[in-house]
Amino acid sequence: MKKYISYKNLINLLNVLAQDYQVFVPTEAKNGRFYKKYSADCGKIVIGEVRAVEPLKSFFLPGRERVAEDFKPDLPQKDDRKPYAVVGVKACDLKGFKVQDYVFKDHDFEDPFYNKARQNNLIISADCTCCLESCFCIALNLKPYPQESFDINLSQVDAGFVVETGTQRGENIVKENFSLFEDAQDYMISERNQQREKVTGEIKANIKTQDIPQESLYQGIIGKNYQSVLWQDEAKACVECGACNTICPTCHCFLLYDQKDKGKMMRLRIWDSCMIKDFARVAGGANPRERLWMRLRNRFEKKFDYFPKVSGIYACTGCGRCIAACPAKIDIRKVLKRLVDGR
Amino acid sequence: MADKNPYRPIEAQVLDVIAETPTIRTVRFKTKEEVAFVTGQFIELTIPGVGEAPFTPSSRPSMREAMEVTVMKVGRVTEFIHKLKKGDIIGIRGPFGRGYPLDEFKGKEILVVGGGCGFAPLRSLMYTFFDMSGQFKKLFFRGGCRTPKELVYRNETDEWAKRKDLNFKLTVDNGDESWKGNVGLVTTILDDVEMDYKQGIGVVCGPPIMMKFAAKKLLEMGFKENNLYLSMEKNMSCGIGKCGHCRLGSYYACKDGPVFSYDKIKNFPNIWD
Repeated sequence: MKKYISYKNLINLLNVLAQDYQVFVPTEAKNGRFYKKYSADCGKIVIGEVRAVEPLKSFFLPGRERVAEDFKPDLPQKDDRKPYAVVGVKACDLKGFKVQDYVFKDHDFEDPFYNKARQNNLIISADCTCCLESCFCIALNLKPYPQESFDINLSQVDAGFVVETGTQRGENIVKENFSLFEDAQDYMISERNQQREKVTGEIKANIKTQDIPQESLYQGIIGKNYQSVLWQDEAKACVECGACNTICPTCHCFLLYDQKDKGKMMRLRIWDSCMIKDFARVAGGANPRERLWMRLRNRFEKKFDYFPKVSGIYACTGCGRCIAACPAKIDIRKVLKRLVDGR
Repeated sequence: MADKNPYRPIEAQVLDVIAETPTIRTVRFKTKEEVAFVTGQFIELTIPGVGEAPFTPSSRPSMREAMEVTVMKVGRVTEFIHKLKKGDIIGIRGPFGRGYPLDEFKGKEILVVGGGCGFAPLRSLMYTFFDMSGQFKKLFFRGGCRTPKELVYRNETDEWAKRKDLNFKLTVDNGDESWKGNVGLVTTILDDVEMDYKQGIGVVCGPPIMMKFAAKKLLEMGFKENNLYLSMEKNMSCGIGKCGHCRLGSYYACKDGPVFSYDKIKNFPNIWD
């Protein structure tokens, strides 16, 4: 039996969760939705609509993080902060988890910082209730509503949300706060389904209008276009700002950066960008990707060749953030189309 | 692994600094905690508060009392390394990656080809071979450098040249009045290497351009692709395949290398760049 929670009771639930978690909610701003720490005056909370401006990785692989102090063997005592509960996460960002988890958690060496942040966190996801012009998740075989990787999912209907649980942790939260929930009525479920169909239709229309190829056509697109002139062509306007990397929910590369802090050695890790010239340069001076277009090619190679080869995942979520962020208007949809068409 | 911090350096103290050439120094240090490595693996050396850089130790892995790296001054961190004095405190992370598969070398004929900065890791490899003396059928070393002045470990290599278990030869691209040896690229002193190339092991380490031509030459001589071991110099940083800087096709040089057999990487584009 699916549950339903009213908007008012969701706020009550967030108040309960705030005792055990640092609760973050998407809030309305002039130019999109930004995550803010939940509080009575955090602004207008937007559970539905579309993805936030910042990617979900910001919580688990922060843009700047202290990873070592002096020679102390233990992890830097950052805090005893409560785990994150991130609310209103969209399906595209949940796919980002797949890539980040693969890199930092699920194979080879574990990253203690990422793992610590991922442990005990709570993900309350939500259906998209509309789409942006740049949304194309369906091309990547996603749906504009979460199907996995959430503890609780909210589908906005009427004055509240249809509630689905995806994990035991989510289930327990519903049980422990049963008085805030009621049984979802059939009409609510149909409303949810209609809503889902509507947004799916909108994104399909995006894909059709802009002629964006489906993931099923991506196999081998990097190899067959490796020597193509399209890379030079697409990289022409690039200003090497790295925004496409930092805003991307799947980009994981980082720079270890040392500095002195009150006489102490401090090691930070900050997001890095493979579009920056020195990214792969070695001290001896050799640079395997001297030219900007080589670095653009490398970015696509990593997402559409390396990741599918090593983990079976295309490292793109169709969230469209890189399209929105690029000052040079380099458009991943157009590049994918050119790669698939081989021209 | 989960509760250990892979980004934390272990404290080490500089025991000695040896000037090899005007731009190359060997730093000898002792770590506070034991760091055992397999020859060919690399470490990250931290100058506290400044930064870190990857080096393959140039010392004998069986030497427990100290470790050595041989460093050419080429950038910011190496400039600080060149200023190190006895007693200074540095940091070490690692060892990382995979070294040479020594067990697979046993009973075989081996040709080691080194160039310039590639002498550092090969010094560690050669001492490992000397420790294993008698376990190989034949051992050849062919080394090249631009000028005699840039040749490192001259006192030691003079001793190597006298060894019965090693066939040793050096060359320089440009000689001077003191140089009595061969003049020419390292690929010009491979013709007198008498061994069964098809069964032999080839090890190549040096700057990218030298690696490219030496590897090509060894393949032409008949070495099998899976018996040709290359040390790939990439921008290794985290050491555990997370930070993304040293990707080489579907591998990260830091965790899957830096030593690769040629067959593993030959299909990746631009491996020599």
